[in-house]
Amino acid sequence: MAMRVHATDIPPERHSNQHVYRWHAGLMVRALLLGFCLLLALGVLMLVGLMLGTPQLRLPDLFNIAQGNGDRVATIVVSQLRLPRVVLGALAGGMLALAGVLMQDCMRNPLAGPELLGVSNGASLVMALVVIFNLPVPWDLYPVAALAGGVLAGGLVLFAMRTMADPIRLVLTGVSVGALLYACIIAVISLGDQNSVALLYLYLLGSLANRTWDYVNLVWPWALVCVPCALAMARPLNLLQLGDDVAEGLGLHVVRWRLLIVTLSAALVAAVVAACGPVGYVALVSPHIVRRIVRTSDARQVLPVAMFTGSVLLVGADLIAKNLFDPLELPVGVWTTVIGGPLLLLLLRRQLSRREEVR
Amino acid sequence: MALVGPRPPSAGSPTVAVHRGVKGSQRAQVGWGGPATHRYYPFVLAAGLVAVAVLLVAHVSIGTAGIPLERVLDVLTGRQVDQVTYTIVYELRLPRALVAVLAGAMLALAGALLQSVTRNPLAEPDLTGASTGGVLFAVLWLSRDMIGWNVAPPNVTVPAVAMVGSILSGGVVYLLGGGGGNTDAARLVLAGVMVSAIMRALTSLVLLINQNAISGILLWIVGSLNGRTWVHWDTVWPWALITIPAGLACAGVANALHLGDDIATALGLRTGWARALLLFIAILLTAGAVSVVGALGFIGLIAPHLTRRVVGSDARRLFPLSALTGACILLLADILARSLTRVVDLPVGAVMALLGAPFLMYLLRRESR
Repeated sequence: MAMRVHATDIPPERHSNQHVYRWHAGLMVRALLLGFCLLLALGVLMLVGLMLGTPQLRLPDLFNIAQGNGDRVATIVVSQLRLPRVVLGALAGGMLALAGVLMQDCMRNPLAGPELLGVSNGASLVMALVVIFNLPVPWDLYPVAALAGGVLAGGLVLFAMRTMADPIRLVLTGVSVGALLYACIIAVISLGDQNSVALLYLYLLGSLANRTWDYVNLVWPWALVCVPCALAMARPLNLLQLGDDVAEGLGLHVVRWRLLIVTLSAALVAAVVAACGPVGYVALVSPHIVRRIVRTSDARQVLPVAMFTGSVLLVGADLIAKNLFDPLELPVGVWTTVIGGPLLLLLLRRQLSRREEVR
Repeated sequence: MALVGPRPPSAGSPTVAVHRGVKGSQRAQVGWGGPATHRYYPFVLAAGLVAVAVLLVAHVSIGTAGIPLERVLDVLTGRQVDQVTYTIVYELRLPRALVAVLAGAMLALAGALLQSVTRNPLAEPDLTGASTGGVLFAVLWLSRDMIGWNVAPPNVTVPAVAMVGSILSGGVVYLLGGGGGNTDAARLVLAGVMVSAIMRALTSLVLLINQNAISGILLWIVGSLNGRTWVHWDTVWPWALITIPAGLACAGVANALHLGDDIATALGLRTGWARALLLFIAILLTAGAVSVVGALGFIGLIAPHLTRRVVGSDARRLFPLSALTGACILLLADILARSLTRVVDLPVGAVMALLGAPFLMYLLRRESR
């Protein structure tokens, strides 16, 4: 059976063949250790991100710059170009991964994610309209516009789902809505002039290139509000994982909470899409990786660990995107899609075919 | 299992034995447009053929330079006409219309096949990965002057390259979907989505690097019939001659799959291989269509669904009529696209998306009940 049950609320003997999870000190230590390792990895990756590129810097150079007595060019490069980029990458990766966990757990569907729910495409379409037709939307409100598009498209897909937990249905619905939105995006693009088209296309792939502090300032207020909210959703998520009936029986207002959680995840995605474009598959893949590592689907552990994992993945992917074919820079969205797609297939291979047998 | 329209006979449903030996009045209870139309099916099919022929002639005669119907018929029957009319009709419009007919039919048939494989009415040819793969290869081929290869303006080799790309990428989806006897609907859908996403990302990348060719590339991505000539027709007709009959011949297998895995197995069908077969033919059909028109969406979704409303979900009736419906829809969309040229220059793929939007809403609404 593919359903992951976290069994704090169910007597363990009824699930003797499953991995039974109980909150005790050993696991807590392991989770903390894991969080610490991820934080360390994130720090190292960010440092490497600050060092690589032209001019190439070494650690002592970075220290000098931090103390304010480094080379002037290097100081500007690091503080105005590289630092905002890695910070934005870490923020965006964490937010996307959180959104992925929220969506997957509250729908009990391993394939729920902003790409397959049409949220990314909806947000992108709105951004395309804004950019191509020069709509009078102030810069600060870009995430709001993206949010509106994402929520509309995601709502449409959810509205068409009769049962939330059937992954194939979700994918097919999401893909047809996504294809429609994609066609609309292309139609809008083909109406635009050459310059904005090229600009927009770079954006539609999902990229962290040339992101300055302006973009970070666009995202961090959203992160400040949404990330703690998302982390606080662990209990309702755990209950929702048990199934609608059980959750209702345990006193959770299922419809209301589900709506709230989906909106929250759409907000997380919208802020990222407004700043970096729809970076694909970070949200879908990181929760699965994390569930494999922590060997439980208890949201209290998965949420924070997934957040760090998403940051690590995106910052790492951006490092590859920026430096692998230097001086040619590929948008990071291409890398996350090319790596994340097959990875997802690999991670879900067994799960999906087992589902089919049960049916 | 979620299925739309008149439910096909499924496990536990009382309509399993409905196909033969049930009186018309009883058949009619199954749902309107269901098996009640069995008796009229030959007429429906003939009407479909006539509709395609009429739309074909209309497509040729309508345009910026309107050509009277009798003149068009003169050209088609080989009578003498003046040079300009002959060129417009025979060299420019006729190949385009014929390509539209075949491409529409192939895409619709591929859609119907895939809907049988996944047992879901929302499946469309994009899921084979063949369309996005074909586009990627076509775009790469069109951009080969980036690495110093000269591109001769009348690009006659593009369809062949696109077809190779389609088949390669469809093959990847086939393998990832389990391959052979292990072909599994869930894995197939996921594989199709992933491969398409990757191909699309790579296409965008080419677009990004080669911004000069952007307008031509966009036409491939969204699907277009502009400037299709006899070269394209020559690429597609031998292919269609093999794949369309093959697709139609799979109707029996598709019917068995509709009954569900258990019953199909009990009937002696190896379900994994059956799905593999249908998928394989759907890939070939999509590849043929994509190689000449680009990644044209929604026909594979709309045509089978409309047809199902009329003749029910028996694949032996559904498949041939779906193909005809697909041809009609593409011809209509192209007529519309060309008449709109004076207002706004939209490729036929964009028109299809505009037509597809309300239809998709309707379909999703039905589905959500």
